[in-house]
Parts: sequence; C-alpha cells; structure tokens
Amino acid sequence: MAMLLRSALRPLRALGGRRGPAADVWLRGARHGAGLLYPGHIPTSPLQKALLAAGSAGMALYNPYRHDMVAVLGETTGYYALKFLRDQMRKDPEGAEILQKRPRISLSTLDLDKLRSLPEGSLGQEYLRFLDVNRVSPDTRAPTRFVDDEELAYVIQRYREVHDILHTLLGMPTNLLGEITVKWFEAVQTHLPMCILGALFGPIRLSAQSLQVLISELIPWAVQNGHRAPCVLNLYYERRWEQPLRALREELGITDAPHVHVRGLA
Amino acid sequence: MATHRCCALWSYCGRRWSRVMRCCRLSGLCSSWPSGPLGARHLSQEKPATETHFGFETVSEEEKRGKVYHVFESVAKKYDVMNDMMSLGIHRIWKDLLLCKMRPFPGTQLLDVAGGTGDIAFRFLNYVQAQHKGKQKRQLRAQQNLSWEEIAKKYQNEEDPLGGSRVVVCDINKEMLKIGKQKARAQGYKAGLAWVLGDAEELPFDDDKFDVYTIAFGIRNVTHIDQALQEAHRVLKPGGRFLCLEFSQVNNPLISRLYDLYSFQVIPVLGEVIAGDWKSYQYLVESIRQFPSQEEFREMIEDAGFEKVTYESLTSGIVAIHSGFKL
Repeated sequence: MAMLLRSALRPLRALGGRRGPAADVWLRGARHGAGLLYPGHIPTSPLQKALLAAGSAGMALYNPYRHDMVAVLGETTGYYALKFLRDQMRKDPEGAEILQKRPRISLSTLDLDKLRSLPEGSLGQEYLRFLDVNRVSPDTRAPTRFVDDEELAYVIQRYREVHDILHTLLGMPTNLLGEITVKWFEAVQTHLPMCILGALFGPIRLSAQSLQVLISELIPWAVQNGHRAPCVLNLYYERRWEQPLRALREELGITDAPHVHVRGLA
Repeated sequence: MATHRCCALWSYCGRRWSRVMRCCRLSGLCSSWPSGPLGARHLSQEKPATETHFGFETVSEEEKRGKVYHVFESVAKKYDVMNDMMSLGIHRIWKDLLLCKMRPFPGTQLLDVAGGTGDIAFRFLNYVQAQHKGKQKRQLRAQQNLSWEEIAKKYQNEEDPLGGSRVVVCDINKEMLKIGKQKARAQGYKAGLAWVLGDAEELPFDDDKFDVYTIAFGIRNVTHIDQALQEAHRVLKPGGRFLCLEFSQVNNPLISRLYDLYSFQVIPVLGEVIAGDWKSYQYLVESIRQFPSQEEFREMIEDAGFEKVTYESLTSGIVAIHSGFKL
C-alpha cells in the first residue's frame, strides 16, 4: 500500500510530494483545527521559526514601533529560556499556583474601580497611575501564537502582562531609555534571547547623552537589581494590589531608581 | 490516476469527508460539488447551504464571502509591497505579459474585475496612450499633413490622449478600491478611468458593454466561479475577449516541490513580518492549491459559452493566462 501511494504521489504535483503527515506539516505549515494547542496557536516548522526570528529581529530594528515583531522574536527564540522560567515557577509555591490557576491581566479581568479606591502608594494605585500617565493599556499585548507548548505559551503571555508591572516596580517610564533599562532587568531575570537582543541592540537608537547615562548609571543598577531579586514571575500580583509599593520593593530587594536628567526626556 | 489521487488524499489528510469531496471534485467523478464542471449549477440551486473551501478549511458559502472580504480588507494597504516581496517583482512581468496578449487598440472598452489596486488598469492606460502617440507619430512621419482642425484641437488639448479607450475597475472590496484610487491620484491617472464597487458574480453592468474583460488574480477568491464566468460572458460584446491571469498548477515536479516549500514556509512568514498578518497569506497560498488546473479551468470557461479558449502557462505553470472569445 505504501509503495502504491509512493508511486501514485509522484505525478501528483498539487500535493507537494512529501510523504507522511509529519512531512505534510513541514511543507504545508499550519493546519486548521487539528494540532492547535491553544486558541490562536499557529504551528510552525523549524525553518519557519528561523525565518520568523530573523525577519522579526530585522523588522523590529528597522521599525521600533512594530511591537508585534518584538513579541514574535520572543516567541520564536525563547524555547529554552521559557522552560527555565517555567521550572523556576514550578519550584516556587506562589509560582506553581500561578501556573495552575493561569490568571490573566487585562482590562476585562482587572477591577479598575477597586484598584482606584486603594490607598495611595499601593501597588494597584501606582500601576493604574503608570497606565494613565504613559497612556498604555494591558490589552495591547499580542497573544501568543508561535510557541508549540501550551504551558510555555502561558508563561510568555504572563511575562508580557507582567512587563507593565515591572515598569511600575522599577519606576521606569515607557520612553526608549526606560524600556531599555527594563529590558536589561528582564534579560538578567528571564534569560530570554529577545530581552538580551533588545538590551544589546536597543541602545543603537539612543543619543550620545542618553547612552552615557544608560551605561554609567541605569545598566549597573538594573543588572544589580536583576540579580538580587527573585524571579518576578513568581509573584501573584493579583493578590498583592493592596501591598504598598515600597514594601514590595523591599521584599524583592529593588532599590530606588537613580535620578537621571536627560535633555528632552521627562 | 483519479482514484489514486483519492486514496492519497484520504490517507494524507485524515478522515474529513469534505477533503474527499474536494478530491472528487478535482477528478470530476463526484458531481455534487457546486463549483465543479459537471452538473454544477443544477445542484447549487437545490442546496442553498452548501459548503466550499476557504484555503484548506471547509466553510459555508456565505462564510467564505465574508472571510475573503476580511482577508483583502486587511491586506489592502500592504498589497503591492507584499506582491513585490513574494514574487520578487515577477508579478509585474506577468501583468505586462497579460497586456501584451491583450493588445488593446485605442477605443477599447476594458472591464477589469477584481482590479482593486489598479495594476492592470494603469498598464492598460499606459499601453493605449503609447499606442495613440505612436499612431500620431506615424501619421506625421508619413507626411500626412494634419488638417487645420486637428492642429487647432492639439493646441486646445481637446484631443483624447487615449483615443476613446476606457477602463472600468470593478472590485467587491472597498479598501482595495480606496488604495487603487489613491494610487491613481498619486501617479496622475485621471482620464478614462472609473471605479465601481461590484460583485463578480453579479456585475452591475448591462449586457454587451465591453470589448475586453480581465480578471487578474481574483477569480480564485470568487465563491461561484461558474457564475463569474457567466457574468463575464454576459457583459462582453459579441467578439469580446475574456482574459484571466491566475495562479495555476506547476507542470514540473522539481519546481513544484520548490514552489510548495517557498509558498508554505516563506510566504506566511513574509506576511507576518511585513504586514503583520500570517493568516491572510496562509489563505493565499492555500487558495492557490484549491484552484483547478489549466485544463479544468479551460473547460469551465468553455461551459460558460466562450469559444476558442486557450491558455498559456508562465513560469513553469505558476501562473496561467486563459483567453476566450464571445462569438
């Protein structure tokens, strides 16, 4: 039967010529229905992942406003780092609970009124203030598509949603300098190649003065804090909204951000 | 051969009945497939909720129309850039070859269906304008003295630079038409061009209106290809020509494998990186595989009433130009 198939398949140009369902996926890419591990999942072959990684890295550098490209780069290159993160989360009781309960941070899951009513200086209040001042929303994070493991897909989704909270924890704004500082912190914490690449190549677009400030003050501070703090994905932030930000920073060992005055930045 | 194809698809793609139906459609054995050549129209009137293909997915016919609309709505802005990237600029040559085959003369009335961003229409205008200029130059060179009226008209710029040719661009998608109009404005095309929102299966034109009907890379997205072909027959004048430029089946097995590799591995990645849209370009490459082969499509065109139907494969069959006449 296999021989018959093989001889029959040779003249069939429309089917791509490869044998077997595994090779079918290799040649034909994403399937519909079968093989999807989570909603939005697009199965990709190793070649496609490599092309995506290269293409998204280039496009992200060319057009820094393409946040979706940064996300794609993270997904396609982060396999080992995500496994490391997941293992870190499993070892910690709070992290294991997060992996089990799978909480999501989005405007629909957050109770904005409750957060606004929290006392001044609490994590929830400061987080909301950060969202308002910088005019960002937790819903702009792209959903995971190219990770081929359902748990790892959640881990990277959690990392993306926690990113804004990290900004709040570190006290960094969303301008280029702030983002690069947070990337350095994340690179030390998560070892994600996307963070490492962002941390190393992001400064290309900075002015000389900003670069100097970055290298002399912000990077050493971010790296120190990154090493000192436990894994930031292990915190169940949804239960810690009332916790005063200062207390949380002390718990994690995060010192205050150095005061930097760069012309042109807030 | 046909049964082998059936067997192969059966074991290949799993137990979905729709896949077997599709394979039967290809071989012409099963006549209950709506868009096949045998007994098609009769059955599609009987079963209103029939299923069709959207790439490799199976959807209902009403769904397909909406889904195709969304695809082109989202790709419209980057359509031309992506075409260049995906075909490495070769699509320009294909479209030029279509015009060469058409050989319009000044005075031709062209209907370009699914013409969206206007590539064929602009090429047509350029061609006809060049023809007209060439004709004038030849007149002058042959020492045929222009009459005073003609000279006066030239100075008054009253002479139609297109020599009476008109092109109507018809598309079902507003976004594609918008991009086309922007391009026309940017490139300075004003005269002889009309933009109409319309459905290829139900054209908003009277019978016997146009000299040439073209549809470039559009007919595979139509839900009922046979209806589109019948409409084409209706709006053409007797003696009018039907031209279709569409992706087709590759005839060389080696090139076919390379083409498949490129289509399925590289094109969706390009779509994601450049346009931020993986799924639309996945649909694109799948819809190419679903389109009938050159011979089958030729038969479909003949069924619609066209005569002297021929086709020419380009780039080893990656695209084909089908041509038929309404006589």
